[in-house]
Amino acid sequence: MAAKGFFTDTTICIGCKACEVACKQWNQLPDDGFHFTGMSYDNTAQLGASTWRHVSFIERPVALSTQDAGAFSWLFSSDVCKHCARAGCLESCPTGAIVRTEFESVYVQPDICNGCGYCVVNCPFGVIDRREDDGRAWKCTLCYDRLKDDMTPACAKACPTASIHFGEIEDLREMARARVEELHGQGMNEAYLYGESKDSQPGTEGLNAFFLLVDQPEVYNLPPDPVVPTKGVAAGWRSMAFAALGLMAVAVGSVLASRNGDAG
Amino acid sequence: MIQDKDGRGIDERLGSLLGEGSHQLVSRRQSVGEAVWSNIPSASGESATYFDRPILKAPVWEIDIPAYYYLGGAAGASMALAAAAQLEGGEEISRFVRRCHWIGIIGSSAGAVLLVHDLGRPERFVNMLRVFRPTSPMNLGAWILAGAAPLAIAAGFFTRQSGQFKRLGETAGYAAGLFGLGLAGYTGVLVGNTATPVWKEARPCLPVLFLSSAAASTASLLEIFPNGPRTSQLILIFGTAARAAELVSARWMEKRISRVQTTGEPLRKGVGGALWKTAAVLTAASLVIPLAGRKSGKLRRCAGVLGTLGAIALRLAVHFSGSASAANPRATFDLQRRG
Repeated sequence: MAAKGFFTDTTICIGCKACEVACKQWNQLPDDGFHFTGMSYDNTAQLGASTWRHVSFIERPVALSTQDAGAFSWLFSSDVCKHCARAGCLESCPTGAIVRTEFESVYVQPDICNGCGYCVVNCPFGVIDRREDDGRAWKCTLCYDRLKDDMTPACAKACPTASIHFGEIEDLREMARARVEELHGQGMNEAYLYGESKDSQPGTEGLNAFFLLVDQPEVYNLPPDPVVPTKGVAAGWRSMAFAALGLMAVAVGSVLASRNGDAG
Repeated sequence: MIQDKDGRGIDERLGSLLGEGSHQLVSRRQSVGEAVWSNIPSASGESATYFDRPILKAPVWEIDIPAYYYLGGAAGASMALAAAAQLEGGEEISRFVRRCHWIGIIGSSAGAVLLVHDLGRPERFVNMLRVFRPTSPMNLGAWILAGAAPLAIAAGFFTRQSGQFKRLGETAGYAAGLFGLGLAGYTGVLVGNTATPVWKEARPCLPVLFLSSAAASTASLLEIFPNGPRTSQLILIFGTAARAAELVSARWMEKRISRVQTTGEPLRKGVGGALWKTAAVLTAASLVIPLAGRKSGKLRRCAGVLGTLGAIALRLAVHFSGSASAANPRATFDLQRRG
């Protein structure tokens, strides 16, 4: 089966949060408290165990290069699990609850997850989280149930401006590159793709849900150079092997050296 | 910046005040509490963030987990030390080996209970052994613990017997020593294998720190009990080397992660920073005291207590500084921008 994913074009997002609502509704997710953040129109604040789409509202004191209405611009971006080609959550999951599906998406099997919480600290994007009352880790499933029936994920289906594109990754990449060219042609030279390929984001080897952005990733609360922790796990084991050898040498050494030692 | 003269948030160059309330007289800006942003926070530039919101999720682990780092470490290093001591014979050494096995048995069993308790779904703990996944230090750690605890029990039980059973116990003791090294060290690999800035940056240091702290924990526990002349000397040598190694590796880790100011901050400030300093002081005291008063049993016990507290403080410091660094988005951004 061909790899499927999202291409989120943030330049045409209008911040309506239909994706958030559609996701909650289709997946029948509980609310996570009706908080008032006091910072912007964004009261969802972050992705979490029961929030699998999150629209960020970015207020900037700079204009887009195509704007001539003063030094201000709104950026909206619908964030989601990136379904990384090398997924930190999947590779660190000790139970095998997190799997790669036939659509190349990353899926948490709720009947296996025992809530150890290791995926939570292994996601360089801060996506997956453990819900306290439930005890298990949750995140976007790329609407695995809908894909099984050849349907579009709820968020992409509901998006009124087609900011969220769903499809085969190869097609999406082509579409995204064409869109960047189009924007550059219109004078919006700051447009670029985030995580669309292994080359542009070697730390994750590319995202199956990638983005078109017009400012640096930090502004969208995205990491500038994310690296999946398990990519470097060998360094940790090497370091442990040296230390363990050292400990054993000290242990044997102190046994031998105490042979003729003076009384303590 | 917005030319906002009366708190309506409207730049008069861009919009007109025509609303229902636009004629309301405004004499001064009303304060709506401290949490309200008075500037535009997601501005592009050197240190942009999204309203300073965390980018990473904080670890969900409770205090069980640092407690397990300590217990598993002490148990593992005890099993390794017992295996080394087993090379020798004699009544005093046999008693010492048995004591080490007891620490191994109690530490690994109690540690396993803590780990299960911390799970979101404790009844599914056995799922840890559903797969063998070398990319996951937690999975390998579960296998190590599943080997280490029964081996410690077997070694502790059979070395008391005679003949064939004693030999079986000794074999189990050597195997337990090997698994003990894994048990004491894998938690360092596990903690380093995360996206949490403080831990991620300390990846090469943490296994060394955890293993040396585990050895120091074992020495401290053994010091608390009365020991014969031979084993006192043994513990003194082992403990001195372990404590020195712990102090050195802690400074190495601090230096490494402080290369980026925001990443190193959690080891200097807050709960994590306070515990980190406390651990250094206590461990240094437990290093010096037994060397200064090697003839005094009381001083040795005192060093044992201080060393135990220091080792626990160190594990807690690692735990709390990790949570603190996950809460600061700049710790992540600065670390990634530097490279």
